[in-house]
Formats: sequence, structure tokens, C-alpha cells
Amino acid sequence: MLPKSPTILAFDTSAAHCAAALLQGDTITTRIDEMAKGQAEHLMPMLTEVLSDAGLTWSDLDAIGVGTGPGNFTGIRISVSAARGLALGLSIPAIGVNGFEALTHGLPLPITALIDAPRGSAYLQHFTVDGPQAPEMIVVADHPIDGPIAPVLSAADHVANIARVAAGRLGQTQPRPAPLYVRAADAAPPRDPAPVILP
Amino acid sequence: MTKALTILGIESSCDDTAAAVVRLDDTATVLASVVKGQNDLHADFGGVVPEIAARAHAERVDICIEEALAEAGMTLGDIDGIAVTSGPGLIGGVLSGVMCAKGIATATGLPIVSVNHLAGHALTPRLTDAVTFPYLMLLVSGGHCQFLIAEGPETFRRIGGTIDDAPGEAFDKTARLLGLPQPGGPHVERAAQTGDAKAFTLPRPLLDRAGCDMSFSGLKTALLRARDAVVTEKGGLTEKDRSDLAAAFQLAVSDILFEKTRRALTEYFELQPKKRVFAIAGGVAANGPIRAALMALCAELETDFVAPPLNLCTDNAAMIAYAGGVRLLAGQSDDMTFKARPRWPLDDRAPALLGSGKKGAKA
Repeated sequence: MLPKSPTILAFDTSAAHCAAALLQGDTITTRIDEMAKGQAEHLMPMLTEVLSDAGLTWSDLDAIGVGTGPGNFTGIRISVSAARGLALGLSIPAIGVNGFEALTHGLPLPITALIDAPRGSAYLQHFTVDGPQAPEMIVVADHPIDGPIAPVLSAADHVANIARVAAGRLGQTQPRPAPLYVRAADAAPPRDPAPVILP
Repeated sequence: MTKALTILGIESSCDDTAAAVVRLDDTATVLASVVKGQNDLHADFGGVVPEIAARAHAERVDICIEEALAEAGMTLGDIDGIAVTSGPGLIGGVLSGVMCAKGIATATGLPIVSVNHLAGHALTPRLTDAVTFPYLMLLVSGGHCQFLIAEGPETFRRIGGTIDDAPGEAFDKTARLLGLPQPGGPHVERAAQTGDAKAFTLPRPLLDRAGCDMSFSGLKTALLRARDAVVTEKGGLTEKDRSDLAAAFQLAVSDILFEKTRRALTEYFELQPKKRVFAIAGGVAANGPIRAALMALCAELETDFVAPPLNLCTDNAAMIAYAGGVRLLAGQSDDMTFKARPRWPLDDRAPALLGSGKKGAKA
């Protein structure tokens, strides 16, 4: 049964931070610990602290919300893997929320969401009244954007929206959270071609 | 009797995602072992692509764990501790396993132990054959090649290893050069069956030097040159050329491992072990002719030859559960701040063979 005022812990490590939001009914508290590296060591103790600061334990949670990117590939895998482990250990759902959904939460359509990518690029997704279009990666300077753009959010507002979007999906069947990379893995076939095999 | 422990093991350091349940008391029993390979994902690229491997692990670790628990007929409530590979290996994959393990341990309150992947391999002869210390171990796979004297559950002395590539990697490269499918090991072995190893002369690098260190990089280059010479002459390779080249390459690897193992055994015998044991682990241990050569050597030197069954010889999580369980039984565990480590030599006293730059030794 759906809890009337759910308790959800959301977190995100898609950029240079460990970000957490604890949603309890209508209230949300957030914590952002900035760090360029070391998220894998810092994340679990920090989340346990966020809960204990609110007088809660892990067993009080109804769901986990997790930021699935796009962003730093290693960073999004850290959070997604942790969320999947927590879901398995707690027998509660882990709900993946991507950065575009967090940025556009509650905004009127149509709207475009942009997330910084390396080397002057950005990840982009258009949301129309007919639904979201496929996300893509663009070079910002070459790609003028028509129509409204979702305002940039602070890390705290971003992770709070991950918690809100996750809360809206409670009770629905959820796929396991999976990273949203947008960009394909860098991999090239071997340069040396295979030899011709003679009859 | 020792208190029985049931351990969940997790492994994701290369291109296999694995989970296992092992019961440990005075003996060790593998209750479940699940391994999901990624050969199909990497086949087009002629080798393991780290980012592709990491992406696969991130979406498979928890599923493997559920399958292993189901296979053992258990739930997390039946588990006493979690053991996870935290290095050395491809860091993206290692991180996925480590974070999933930390998530489960945090959620359940179960103790967690960080396990060195190489220790998992090196302790496997104790899991499968209850071998006693000290024994000599040859770990030979796609990513590793080293001789270790196992003196205790956490005491390993590395007495030699490759200074460049691992033989498994050389088999993969050979398969690429000869137009054979990946992974190279079994395909090169099959092609070599009908080949004449004497048709081509390939070098045995470092055999002329004392000690147990090995090199396989020059062998790869020599094979490339031999192949190119044939291609230049005929415009391609005949099936016979391909078999001959495969056979010549395989014999060179076998000769190197044979002679270096002889030297490693001599060094091991100086410890005067009550029972002489040589154990082999890693994917290359599955190669028939190499295995036969090393068995013959052990027979000649009155040494027991131990090769764990193939599913425990190649990457798996049962070995991680076992190695972690040994640490848990000794009263050790880790907190949630332990790191995933791309580089983590098992023997940090031996001089670095690989990656001796400022980041330190690789393995």
C-alpha cells in the first residue's frame, strides 16, 4: 500500500559532489558535500548521517531516489550501483530519475533541459506536450536553442527535485535504475585488419 | 569446530560479473556461483574495452547477486558477511561491485570485507583442494601473470611475473593477427592442433636471464613480423600457415612458462615444504598443451599439480567469498570508506614489475 506521507532518500553523484535529499511528506532537507573525487568512499557514511540527523534509520525509508545522469560516467555508476544494492538490501524500490527530469520538474511545456558536458558540449533534451524527445549531445556554440530553457538549478535544488520526481513515481512499477550516458562508449575496432585467408 | 559462516562474494574487476555464496567452517562449500561474461560485448573491438565493461557491470551486479542467492535457496537473511573485489582491475567495474556491496551491507548491517582479486585466485587451491601452506602458485590469465609463494592466508611472496603483457592478452592479440575469433585462447589452441610449431621460429624472451620474470610483448611482435612475411609473399595466409603460426606461438608461451616454472619451483623447494604443491589459476590454465607441459614438469620434480576446475580457475566470485570469509573468520572487516583500487599488488614488498611510475605498482 502506498504510504500517505512517504519517506524517500535521494542522492546524486553525477558531478563533483555527493548530494542527498531526504523527503518526509512535504518537507525536504538537503546536504551537498563538494568533492572532485572520493565519492565512492564518502557516499555511504554521508547518507547514513543524513538519516541519523533526521532521527531516522535505513528501515524507515519507503524508497530510494537516484540521479542517473547524464554526467560524469564514473559518478553516475557510483550512485546507481549503490542504489541498486540498497534496494536489494532493504527490499524497497530504487527509482532512477535523470537530470533532465529533475531540471524540468514542475515547469510548463514545451521546455528544453541542458546539462553541462565536457569540452564546450552539453547534453540536451526537449520536452514537448507530446512527450520527451530523445536526449542528445550538442556543441553549445553551434546549436542555438529555440523556446524556453529550464533554469539552471543549484545542486541542492537538483537533488531535491530527484526526490520529488521519485515520490511521484511511488507505487508504479519501476525499472531498475540505469545510468543515462547519452554518449556512446569510446571504443574503436582494432586498426590492424584481419589477414586474408587463402583457399 | 569453527563457527560456520555463509558469505556472499561479488566480483566485477574485468569482463565477468559474478556473485557466489560460499559456506565456510572447517571446510569450504560453494553453494552457488553465477558468472555472466561479456565476450559478445567486446568481440568487435579485439579486447576488453574498459568503458563497455563498466557499463555492463553497473547493470548486472545486483542481478547476479539475486541469481546466486536463488541458486543457493537463500535470502540475504541467511548471509553472515559480504566479500567484494576492490582491486586490482578495471576501476569502473570494480566500483560497481564495491558500491553495490556497500549498499547491501549498509542496508542490512552485515559486515563487509574488501578482497584483493589476486588473493582470491591465490587461495583457490585451498578452497578446492584444501592445499596446505606453503605452495607455489602460477596465476596466468588475460590480465595477470605471476608466480606467488602462498605462505599464509594473507602472506604471499611474488617471486616473478611478466614485465609487460599477460599471456592471455597475447593469445587474444595472436587471434586478431591470425583472423581468429575472440577470446583468443581457445581459438588459437584449436588452430594449433593441426599446426607444425617448427614451421616458424619465434623467440622465448627473457629465458636467457636468471630469475622468474617473463615477457610476452616481444613474442607478439615477432608473431606479427612472421605473419606479415607470409602475407607479403602470398597475399594472405593459408589455413596451414595459420595453424603453424598458432602452434609456434603456443609452443613459445608453453616453453617460457615451463622453464620459468622450473626455476620458481627450485626457489619454492628452498622452503622445504612437507608436501610440494604447485597450483595454477587463470584462464590460460585451461590451455591443454600448456597444462600438460606443466603437469609433466611437476611429475618430474615430484610435486603435486593442482588445477582447480575451470569455473573456479577463471574469474568467479566463489574465490572472493572464500578469501573474504577467511578474513571474517579471523575477525577482520572493513568500514564503508574502503577504496576501489585499480592498482593493488598482492606482495607490496617485492619490487614493482609493472607500472612502476608515481602511481605505483599495478598488481
